[in-house]
Formats: sequence, structure tokens, C-alpha cells
Amino acid sequence: MTNTEARLDQIRGPVPPRPHNARTIAALTSNPACVRRAILDAAGVDKAKLAAALGLPAPFGQSRFAITRGNAFEQQVKANGCAELLRLLREQLGLPIPEVSYDDLEEVAGNPGLPMRHARTRQLLTRAADSGDDAGTLFDHPLLCLEVGGRLAYLEPDLIAFRLRGKFHVVEIKSFAAIDGQADPDKVAAAAIQSAVYVLALRQLLADSGHAADLVADEVFLVCPENFANRPTAAVLDVRKQLTVLRRQLSRLAFIAELVEALPPDICLDLEPDAAGVARRPAAELAGALHVLPPRYMPECLASCEMCRYCRDGARAETAALGRAVREDLGGVDYVETALQLAAGELTAGGGEEDAAALLRTAERLRLECLQAAQFPAPDFRGSHESLAAPQSLETTA
Amino acid sequence: MEELERRIDELRGAVRRAAAAGDRARARELRGELRAAESAWDDAVAELEFQSAQPRTAPRAAWPTSAASPPDGRQVDGGPPDAEADAGLRHAGPADAGLADAGLPVAGLSDDPGDSRPRASGTRSLLPIREQVHQALTLIGVPGAPKLIVAVHDAFFSGPLVAARLTSIRRDEERSFRTAPHARAYYLCAALTADLLAPARGLLAVSTWPLAQRVIGPLSPRVDYLTAAIAVADGVRRLPAPTPDATRLLWRFAVNIPGAHAGGRRAQPGLVEQAARAELAVHRDQDLAHRQAAAARAQAQLDEAAQLFGSRLGAAGQTAASR
Repeated sequence: MTNTEARLDQIRGPVPPRPHNARTIAALTSNPACVRRAILDAAGVDKAKLAAALGLPAPFGQSRFAITRGNAFEQQVKANGCAELLRLLREQLGLPIPEVSYDDLEEVAGNPGLPMRHARTRQLLTRAADSGDDAGTLFDHPLLCLEVGGRLAYLEPDLIAFRLRGKFHVVEIKSFAAIDGQADPDKVAAAAIQSAVYVLALRQLLADSGHAADLVADEVFLVCPENFANRPTAAVLDVRKQLTVLRRQLSRLAFIAELVEALPPDICLDLEPDAAGVARRPAAELAGALHVLPPRYMPECLASCEMCRYCRDGARAETAALGRAVREDLGGVDYVETALQLAAGELTAGGGEEDAAALLRTAERLRLECLQAAQFPAPDFRGSHESLAAPQSLETTA
Repeated sequence: MEELERRIDELRGAVRRAAAAGDRARARELRGELRAAESAWDDAVAELEFQSAQPRTAPRAAWPTSAASPPDGRQVDGGPPDAEADAGLRHAGPADAGLADAGLPVAGLSDDPGDSRPRASGTRSLLPIREQVHQALTLIGVPGAPKLIVAVHDAFFSGPLVAARLTSIRRDEERSFRTAPHARAYYLCAALTADLLAPARGLLAVSTWPLAQRVIGPLSPRVDYLTAAIAVADGVRRLPAPTPDATRLLWRFAVNIPGAHAGGRRAQPGLVEQAARAELAVHRDQDLAHRQAAAARAQAQLDEAAQLFGSRLGAAGQTAASR
């Protein structure tokens, strides 16, 4: 075990690491600059429990109803030897009629163990890549493997289809609807990144057995309900860009060693759960330990990271918390207090802040005009800014 | 109608008074009149029903006849379990006559509200679950998943089939077989996968079928789907009047088979069968070869229980029964 791994184990405490899945790997690419997240994910810390122990639990989880609906739709698409999926592949993507072979990899002879399923997946997929006619067309719930940050992650795409123009395609079945040909772009983007993870894992599997990596197509099929009924429709997603981003992020994970080196030697985020599983470590200690890991909060974190509320709480005084567009507009102005002072003209702009200051002053002038036109007195909320002077308070808890 | 009702009320009051006064002869007379009035009222209500539901009585008329002559020619126990079906039987005469005169097409489409009266209202089937599953599987002739079995049963046979009770049926049948082999005429068993001879996930088959019919090769899910489509199309064609469930089932097959669906809202059994046979011809030979090879291997390697219920890869030492 290398030094880095030993350090990460120490940070995590005496619990087994959380396994990676496609969702967490995909989330790695969404905020690459956040050191806190990088260390927590590399160590396999259970972020949901940590956030709960700090008193700011994550606002999301996976809704039971969404999971049930997703499973029901997936079963409908795959029923009867993937009858509906075959229709979609034939109609929309030109799968030839003789290609209907179906292999179920969800369990191997009644044994749902992961290593066995992975071995069988590898066997069937390499046989398909090797042979000509007896290749097999649809592989249901194959189990792929990807090494992420030194740990092995088992990944389970919904389906892999082969023999469509001689290549493997990953098929993802999602239950959000495509209305008039358009689906929620955030969800589609999330599905695209997750599928890119599967494509990467599949390419590695084939490369390990000596086949060309481009046997796996860059295109992924997304199957989702059409309009408001339950009939499935398919769309092709090009994931080349996501693949590039993923590969870059995964290679950067190697630099985790440097980040770990920079940490103090005795940092530990163990929750010390008692017999019932309730965390006993005081929240103040945890907060102090976490403070060493600098975060980089963005509003997008609210959708993907369980620590979002805690980091948002700590980032209240910073303009970065307001989002990327605001941060770009405000240039070098890092704190909300500074921005407000610039707007009111109480602070003279230093080097590099002139543009932002001019913008802020214009905005303040327009705001006052609007309020006067509406005959509301301009509220003076400068007094409530004391609570926003967070930089000082953060330093005292270190 | 209101007059009849008023008269019935008066008569009832009069009967009560006569009975209270001890005047038996008068009470008997009045009771006779009361009975006549009530039966007249019943007839009037039936006439009202018939008139307001004229286009809707066709499926009800179809019900008793379809139950009497099920598509596969076997006896259906109990007939229509619903007491209301007797009323349907009474109306079969005038309804049929009315329809024949009016030349209306036999209504069987899904927008038919008259048949939305749930057949399962407060009734239980007279057959045990395993018999119902056996009926449905025999109709389609191939191993099927619980959803398909329930859909086929609802389309062609009477009585509710609760899907939730199908989940444990394979386990129960296996236990029953192991405790007393061949005690029953048939068992609901598993379909075996061709490569590992393990029980295929989510499929039920009948033990009296030959092994080659119960084995699932890589092409078999599609081949079985097409065979089931042909059987369902045949069944729908043999129904005297297609029920909404049956047409819906046929539609679901037609949509997923190329060339089986010529547009329009209804699926035509002849077209579905033709298209299914056309695609079946593409896959059949290869699938048959796989299946026969797997069946030969199963007969050579597995004992009886494993041939019916599959052999599993468990921890070493637990699979002694299958070796």
C-alpha cells in the first residue's frame, strides 16, 4: 500500500471506502478544482453521513418513486427479449433483422456475485469481438470495471448493443421524458457523462484482451419515454467531448498524491459511530478538520455533492457562491462585502477592479432609480452585512 | 315508473296493515298484487337498462359465448363467475338481435365503456393459480414471463389472475417436486439457459413440454416472442367477438414486429401472423440448432429435478443435488 493510500485510509477512518459508480465518477468531472471534494472522494468518505454529522444534510437522495418508475420503464423496454428495444434499433438505427441474439448478464446461473458477473461479461464480450456470426447482439446488464484513483469500480450499464455497423454501443434507458423530441438538458447531460464512463470502461475491457478500442462507438443510445405516454423512443448522443473531459480528469486523479502531501499529518474525518451507527464525533472537530481542505463552492454543487450545504454555508461571503456568470462579471472581487462597498462608492477600486466597480456602481444607480420610481424607500441592508463578514470567523475556528 | 313505485309502496303499506289486523285472506291477495307490481317494476328497469346501454351490451353478449368455447377448445371451469353475467346472458338475445338488425360492428375497442365494469369485482377465480398459469402457457406454447402470462390470461380466459402471486410459484413448484416427484400431472418449471443450463431469470414453463422447448438459446427470446404472437393472433381470430384485452395484447405484439402493423388503430390477426412467420423463418433454424444441442447436453448432464428447475452455481458443496 502506498503512502498516499495509507494517508487516505487514515483520513477516512476505520470504515470501508465507498465504492465508486458511474454517477460518482461522472461527478468528478463537474468540479475539478475543488480540493475538498477530490480528497473526500479519493478517500472514499461517505459524504452523506459526514454532512449529516455536521448538521447540514444533503437536500437530495435518490427518490424511491423515481427509482421505481425508472425500473418499471426499463423492464418494459427490455421485456420479451428486448422486443421494444429491437423495434427502436431497427426502425431508428437500421439494425438488421437477423440480429436478435440476447444474453442476460444480470446473474450467472443464479449467482449474482460481482466478480463472477464481470468474468462472464468479459468472456462474452471478447467472444463477440473475436468471432463473426455468432457474436451476440444485446447484452443485458453487463458488469464492467474501471480503475479510478487506485480503486476498482464496478459499473453496470443498462445494455450493450453490438453489430450495429460492426461496433459496440452503450444503451442507457432513462425514465425522464422526451417531449416533442426534447428532454431536460441537464438530465441529458448527466446521462451523457455517465454513458461516457461506460464507454471508457468498455474500451478498456476490449483493449485488455487485445482488441482495438474504437470497436466501441462514440455514440450512445439514450432510450426514454416519448411525450407523455410510456412508449420508448431512442436518440443518439455523441459523447466524444465527455470522453475527453473524463480522460483528462481521471488522469489528474494521479495528482491526488500531491494534494495529500500538502495536508497536515494527523487529519482524520472519522465519524466514530457507536453501536447503533450514530456519529459521536463532535461537529466542531469535524468542521475544523474539514477546514483544512479548501473547497470551491459553486451553485452546481447543490445538484451533485452531498457536502453542498456545508460548503455553501462557508462560502456565504464570497461572490463565487453566486455562480459562474456573476464571478466572471465581477472579475477580481472575491467577497460580497467588497462588492457592496464598491457599489455604494465607499471603496475606491484597486488595480484590476475598475471594470467590476463601474459595473457595480451602474447597477446600484439603476436599482435606486427603480426603487424611487416605485416610491419605495431604498432599504438599508448594510447593517446586516456583519454576518457576511465571514472571512474573519473562518479563521478563528482553525 | 314512478306510478309503479307509488303503487308498490301503497301495496306494501296495505299488506302490513292487513297482516297486523290479522286479515290473512286480504293480506294474501295484497301480497299477490304486490308481487305482480314488483315484477312489472323489474321488467321496466331491465327495459330501461337495455335501451340506455344498447351499443354496450355486445361485449357482455360476447362474454358467455367466449367462455363457453375457449380458443383452445379446453373446458373452462365454472364459466363466467360473475352473477351479473347471468343478466348479460338474458340480454344476449335481444342485444344480438338488435345488433344484427342495426348492422353495428361488434364493439371491441378500447373506448368501449360498457366493458370497463371490472370482471374481478368481488369474484375469485374458481381455478387455482397454477391451473390458470398452465392455461395461459399452453395457449402460447413457449416459456413466458409473468407479465405476459397475466396479459394472455386476461385476454382469453375468465377470472382474475393476480400477478403478485406468480413470483413465488417457481420456488413452490420446485419444493413440491422435490418432496414428491411426479406426484402431479404437470409442474410449472423453469426455462433453462442454453449455455450454463441454469434457470432463466423470470421465465415460467410447463414440465410436460419437451426439453428443447424449455431451453433458451441466444436467439430464443425473440423466437419465443414471435411464436407467442402467432398463438395470440390465432386465439384472437378464434374469439367470436374480440375483447379489449385481447385486441390490446395483439396490438402490443403487432407494434414490435416489422410488417405486422399496417397503420390504423386495430391490429389484424392475419397480418400479425404473416409478419411473425416471416421473421421467424429468419431465426428458426439457428435457434433450433442451439436448443437441440443444449437439450442433449442437459439430458446427459443433469438429473431430473435439475432438468426441470435448472442447475445453479452456488457455493461449492451446495450443488450436490444437481451433479
